[in-house]
Amino acid sequence: MIRVKDLHKTYGNIVSGTHALRGVNLWVKAGEFVAIMGRSGSGKSTLLHLLGLLDRPTRGEIYLDSKDAIALSEEQRTSFRLSRLGYVFQEYSLVSEMSILENVYLPAVCLGRAGNYERRARELLDTVGLGHRLTHYPSEVSGGEQQRAAIARALINDPAILFADEPTASLDGGSARVVLELFRKLNRQLKQTIVMVTHEPEDGKFVDRVIRLEDGLVSQEA
Amino acid sequence: MIRGFFGNAKLALFLAFKSIWKGNRWAALLIICVMALSFAQLVLTPAIISGVTHALNSQQINMLYGNVLVDPDADSYYLAGATEVRSLVEQQPGVVAASAHLAAGAHIEYNWQTATDATATNKGGDWRVIGIEPDNEARVTTISRTMISGSYLSKDDSDQIVLGVEIAGGPQASSASFLNLGGVKVGHKVRLTYPNGTQRVYNVKGIFKAREGEADRQAFVSYKEMVSVLGPELSDSASQILIKTDRSAEEYAVAGSLKSLGIHGQVRTWEEYGGGVGGVVGSFNVIASLIGGIGLVVAAIVMFIVIYINVLNKKRQIGILRAIGVNRFAIYISYLCQALFYAVVGIVLGGLLFGYVIEPYFAAHPLELSIGSVSLATDTVTIRNSVLGILAAAILAGVVPVVNVMRHSIIKAIWGN
Repeated sequence: MIRVKDLHKTYGNIVSGTHALRGVNLWVKAGEFVAIMGRSGSGKSTLLHLLGLLDRPTRGEIYLDSKDAIALSEEQRTSFRLSRLGYVFQEYSLVSEMSILENVYLPAVCLGRAGNYERRARELLDTVGLGHRLTHYPSEVSGGEQQRAAIARALINDPAILFADEPTASLDGGSARVVLELFRKLNRQLKQTIVMVTHEPEDGKFVDRVIRLEDGLVSQEA
Repeated sequence: MIRGFFGNAKLALFLAFKSIWKGNRWAALLIICVMALSFAQLVLTPAIISGVTHALNSQQINMLYGNVLVDPDADSYYLAGATEVRSLVEQQPGVVAASAHLAAGAHIEYNWQTATDATATNKGGDWRVIGIEPDNEARVTTISRTMISGSYLSKDDSDQIVLGVEIAGGPQASSASFLNLGGVKVGHKVRLTYPNGTQRVYNVKGIFKAREGEADRQAFVSYKEMVSVLGPELSDSASQILIKTDRSAEEYAVAGSLKSLGIHGQVRTWEEYGGGVGGVVGSFNVIASLIGGIGLVVAAIVMFIVIYINVLNKKRQIGILRAIGVNRFAIYISYLCQALFYAVVGIVLGGLLFGYVIEPYFAAHPLELSIGSVSLATDTVTIRNSVLGILAAAILAGVVPVVNVMRHSIIKAIWGN
């Protein structure tokens, strides 16, 4: 599902710049729930940005769903991101001017999907426990509810891979647990491939496998 | 591809609608206010200057020349058969009235009875005296409505004269007292000495203030009186015939039709006649264009700053839209639609502000300038240019910051690093 070979990312000058990734190699199987862990500055968020096609590596190879992601043009990356990937951000990332329901079906509108995407959005919101918040606006719901709405949005186009960048970082303990259990449920019941970045060791018990990063390199897999 | 285009356009409209409808109300209000005031200002400044030029033109038409003039041929001092010419002219379509002028220069003296030397007492000077038929004249020029003292001439007045304020002098004259008669009042006597040596004493029947320099340096006697001064051979002659045209008539077209009548004289419009003032009007138009251009640039910069800040505040949101897969085209069009919406609402509100507040105010309280009352004069070209200017500025201000944000990576847009 995901194959990464010798992935490098340097911010700034290649010689004197910051080397966030120094040659990462990894793979993730379809239907796997993987956590990428590491200390602050270890390169875990950078790795997720590259895997999610939000940024370009300095060097290396990324294959997503058997597709060479590096070779894609900007437009192809946008289209691939929309149709094949889902992304849950660290902080609240809903569009403040849209209702929870509109936020969720927005990517489906972008994709121009046939069928009733509004019904699909309602179903997903039911799945994440927000069936009663359809017409609310992001400012009217809690942080945990916003994050669950963001997960529903990431799933609307049936992505091959779901990326989550520290999705519980800004949530309280209870809300964080709800979000993690939701991920596990999606993975177990729908065989959804999930790659999640986290720095909480506790989160490791929800996932199939933990990949540890240290100074831009994979230090351990368990 | 077409489906994709329409799909993106639909998506852009949806994003724009949501952003306007559910976005920051204060920011939207501020942008619309800036747009409305910028538009009103863009129309107002040229309208004031146009009002000045309009007042200057009106003064020329109403106080000096009428809309069209007939002068004698170059080799003649007078137009013969003035009555017939006037009658012929008045029958032409677009002509409201015509008035024959029989003019002569004259030396006018005041208090000549007590002065041993008119020059030494500064109570005399040379001015233009025009013989008119008061009823006809009142239908062509508006001098009869500018009397500040006494009354206008009547048809049979023979020993009466009406003086311009710059001849009579006094507190309402703008010229220095040594350049006028020093304060002649209605009922006083003045003595006129014509070039042919004829001397007449007139009773001052009225004093007018046309607020047009040249007009206020003229005096009027009856046509009959002027004929009696210049001689009976001029009883049906005129130095000039002034013609007032219908408001809707095209002056050049009327002049053209009069030329085709074969009148023995030179037919010109007031604009052709008043070349000097035409230059002033031309200069005012240049100033109006310059001020309008600068106003537009200033308005564009203000709008740019306000919209730019608004878009920068949405930098993170633009990044998120890109991250979830909204393509660039839809985002550009969304912000373009928002900018156009603000511009159109601003133009409509600015237009209402101008049409229902500013213009009526100036109509009720015109600017009192030395050339006369100046109210606002708008024209379609100014309004069209202002509308286009605001739209162009809004498009630039709406799209350029988005292009700038789009140049950054998605990560930079979202986290600002």
